[in-house]
Amino acid sequence: MTDQVSKNSRSARKRQPVSLVSWFAQNTLKGMARRKALLGYIFVAPTILGVTVFVAGPVLFSIALSFYAWNVFQPAKNVGVENYIRMAADSRVLVGFFNSAKFAAIAIGLQIALGLGLALALRTKMTSWMRTYFRTAFFLPFLLSGVATGLVFSYMLNSDFGVVNYYLSLLGFAPIRFLNSSEAALNSVILAYMWQALGFSMIGMLGGLSNVSPDILDAATVDGATGWNWLWHIILPLLSPTIFFMAVVGVISALQIFDQPYAMTRGGPGDASRTMVMSLYEAAFKNMELGYAASISVILFIVIMAVTSVQFISGKKWVFYQ
Amino acid sequence: MAPKRIFTYLYYNIGRWTLLLGLFLGSIIIVAPIAWTFSTSLRTPYESFGVPPKWLPTDFAYQNYVNIFNKTPFLRAFGNSVFVTTCTVIGQLTTAAMAGYAFARLKFPGSSVIFGLVLATLMMPFHATIVPVYMLISYIGLSDTLWSLVLPSIPTAFGTFLLRQYFLQIPVEYEEAAVLDGASQWYIFLRIYLPLARPGLFILAILSFNSTWNEFFRPLIFIRSNSLYTIPLSLNQLRGIQGTGSMSGVLAGVVLSMLPVIVIYSFGQRYLIEGINVGGVKG
Amino acid sequence: MTNSNLSRREFLALSATVGASALAACSAPTPAPAPASAPVLPTKADVTLRVQGDEKNEAPILPSFQSKFPHIKLEFVSVTGIDHEEVASKILTMIAAGETLDFGYSATEALQVYAGMGLSQPLDEWVKRDSTEMADFFSEVHPSLVQAMMYEGSLYELPFDFNAANMYINTKLFKDNGIEFPSADWTKDDFVSAARKISKPGDAGKQVYGFGWTNRLWGSWMPWIFANGGNLFEQEEAPGGEWLWGTYYKNDPMAKGRGGGYRWINPVANSPAVVEALQLVVDLYKEGVTPGMVLGGGSELQGLLGDNHLGMTPGGGFWAGGLGNAGFPKGSFDVQLWPKWKNQTHQFGTGGQWMVAASKHKDEVWEYSKHRISKDGMQTWFDTNGIVTTPARRPMLNATAFAKTGPEHWQVFYDTLDKHPETAPIPCPPISNPMTTLFTNYTGQAMDFKLTPQAAMDSLQKELVDLVARSKDVMYPKK
Repeated sequence: MTDQVSKNSRSARKRQPVSLVSWFAQNTLKGMARRKALLGYIFVAPTILGVTVFVAGPVLFSIALSFYAWNVFQPAKNVGVENYIRMAADSRVLVGFFNSAKFAAIAIGLQIALGLGLALALRTKMTSWMRTYFRTAFFLPFLLSGVATGLVFSYMLNSDFGVVNYYLSLLGFAPIRFLNSSEAALNSVILAYMWQALGFSMIGMLGGLSNVSPDILDAATVDGATGWNWLWHIILPLLSPTIFFMAVVGVISALQIFDQPYAMTRGGPGDASRTMVMSLYEAAFKNMELGYAASISVILFIVIMAVTSVQFISGKKWVFYQ
Repeated sequence: MAPKRIFTYLYYNIGRWTLLLGLFLGSIIIVAPIAWTFSTSLRTPYESFGVPPKWLPTDFAYQNYVNIFNKTPFLRAFGNSVFVTTCTVIGQLTTAAMAGYAFARLKFPGSSVIFGLVLATLMMPFHATIVPVYMLISYIGLSDTLWSLVLPSIPTAFGTFLLRQYFLQIPVEYEEAAVLDGASQWYIFLRIYLPLARPGLFILAILSFNSTWNEFFRPLIFIRSNSLYTIPLSLNQLRGIQGTGSMSGVLAGVVLSMLPVIVIYSFGQRYLIEGINVGGVKG
Repeated sequence: MTNSNLSRREFLALSATVGASALAACSAPTPAPAPASAPVLPTKADVTLRVQGDEKNEAPILPSFQSKFPHIKLEFVSVTGIDHEEVASKILTMIAAGETLDFGYSATEALQVYAGMGLSQPLDEWVKRDSTEMADFFSEVHPSLVQAMMYEGSLYELPFDFNAANMYINTKLFKDNGIEFPSADWTKDDFVSAARKISKPGDAGKQVYGFGWTNRLWGSWMPWIFANGGNLFEQEEAPGGEWLWGTYYKNDPMAKGRGGGYRWINPVANSPAVVEALQLVVDLYKEGVTPGMVLGGGSELQGLLGDNHLGMTPGGGFWAGGLGNAGFPKGSFDVQLWPKWKNQTHQFGTGGQWMVAASKHKDEVWEYSKHRISKDGMQTWFDTNGIVTTPARRPMLNATAFAKTGPEHWQVFYDTLDKHPETAPIPCPPISNPMTTLFTNYTGQAMDFKLTPQAAMDSLQKELVDLVARSKDVMYPKK
């Protein structure tokens, strides 16, 4: 009996041509899936198109360019892998990579820890005025441009006349050569960057916290989950998508930092605070060696991709989505 | 009785107060450079480097600010910056919300591969692609127009990633409930997910606004005409004009460039807070 | 972040065009007929020139130009940058993307870069053609400036302004320490003793320094290299140039033996003269006579000078107006020639106007260029914009020009050229951009005591040799 019915429906279905619209409009799970897929494609279309034209295309162009030597004026000369060989021996570029790596490692750790700490601290009982004040105060630095920040810090950290050394000397310390000693230069740049990044990190964590039901948070406290337990087993897992995001984006941005070191030290003294992107900028815009610059950017690209992939793979283990 | 009460009160709250004190000190240190910038910008160029620093501006050398309006087309630049930033922010929010949602909740073949590719573009330092992009812009005939700044910025891998994470944090139960009620995909997106992702949207808006407003490097290369300068470009002129660019003059420029962003933030803060408070998922 | 005189020079040069108009507008209520010596342009069709410059600063000299050539419209393309390398690269990027430019202004550093790439046009035929006007111009311009604008026998830029590194002095600190204003032939030892006398250690903010400088190519410790008879490269004369010297500088002893430009081919960065100069500035820093290396450069040193925390610093004519604009009262600063060491060779940089080789309106560009360096044009420009750089025309440096700002010894600026024929431009081969980066890099390392001066210069020499070998295509290929 059922066989006959189904056989009839099947052949009935086969005989009718299915229009595209009705294929989507079917009120079945499959139809819904098709609708979802269609919507998916439509929704990502503008972004994909834009990204292809304005990013992917130029990226491919850069990759191709890295095998040439081009100074814009004379026609490009194919030099094969010469640019890469030169980079391997170019201590200035290598130092740039190393500095960027050191920078990113320190900056990310601090950013996430301090951002989370601040966000959690702001949950303490206080008047809303105070909360607004703190939120604003910590976020304010983020509103400055990187160049402006670098500029302000370069004035403040001046080894002879800067405000910071002035107060240090009042407290009895010897003045620190922030920007003109190779040991302190990179750390000073990190300081300027962190000053700005803290606000971003805090806001991000606050946003993430907002998606966590306060009931869960309070319930955990009532149940006796204290301090560390609470943090480790409740907060972190719930916040893991946000933390993950901060980590990925933070590393990508830290590895590409340019504005602050450029404004503060121009990479000096020597190469102490030279970052990868600064090496790239110099090759492209100071020395007009666009092929070499392209090869630096390709390597940078590979490094960032590698680091991010590692983060994504490890993320599968500790990021927990609802 | 009373002393014991006070004692217990203190005992339970001292942790909180220490924390508050710590936060307060921290906030002072964080804001200090900005305060210093502001007060130094009001010192005469002649003695902008004097120590001890004057935290309270007593010179009121507002001439530094007047100079900015005299020497640079600041109001014009302001208008340009507003145009570019508004268009970019709206464009980014729209495209990123759609794409982020699609990657988070809409299954379609190849979505993870495409997402990976989109993410990959985040990792290319834009300084590297600037020359080819500039050549492309020129080719389309948009060189030296404000649109040359807007168009390449609208597709945002960063924004897509950000909103994807926010959408992922919204429990699927909502959608399932709506489907059972017969809601269309559009409805689910517009009425359920989008409002719940408000914090993410507001955050993206602020970040987008901030980064576009303060952008210096790309406009430097893409814009040529004085009348199309954005604020950072016009302020950069200060360095070359004011004698040899006195420190206080430059700092006045920094203050001016910060003000609009602060204003926007203080107004938008209300929505951000709302978003942060309301967006909580009620179990 | 350096407010180098170079970036200002460019900036100002861009503005120059505007100056002359005001003057002309006053004197000629009706459009003046084209002067007899001006060539008749082949066509009177409307032409738009894309001119590198800042419209606001050039505005004063526009009206007189427009009245002479109503069919030439000027479209200003403001190319700003933090330093002149950025300006140069922006221009190159612009042209690479196919945008047109007809007229440019650049400093010595970019001259050979553009010329070497074939981007700028040799001006010889126009210079030869308009001999009357050019004779008037060259008669007032020192041949050093002209030779600095020549490359491989041809003239590529018309010099508009220049800046030599002289020694700026804080008059109050000199007076307070009982130091007499130095004579024109003061020696390096005189300088060191003055600097030491002025320096007073103290807590942060209270110190006084005798001598400060910023880390860049022009006017850092480069003047010391020159004064010690050294240079980063061996300076050679390019062949050719008789067509110019023979016509316009026939009777000028200063022009004898000059060639068709300069060539900087063989690096000699680790020669004893250079190392000695570096040792001098490093020692001064160690002693506490020089403040820490700053990057903000111009603005910070300026602040220190004004606050009486700094006694002396290198500077050119650009600071006469510059310091004045920043509020320095007249008389608070003065200037003298650079101290004599092995000899008293000075270094300078020039700013010049060039014609883009790909321009389709070369004759019109030439007219505009001439207008800008004409007596009226230049005078109007400087009257409006102030004495913010050193004009190339000698008579324009007079008591009136410096009346508002000082310095008292303004004659020093042109004396650097007139009284010292050996004064030479800073080394600017076609590879000047990467060369500058290397130079500042190793300077920084030496000043951080990471490398001894000898070691730093040895490394610099090695890298310069590599750089030259890599850049054979652009380094004077027509040898």
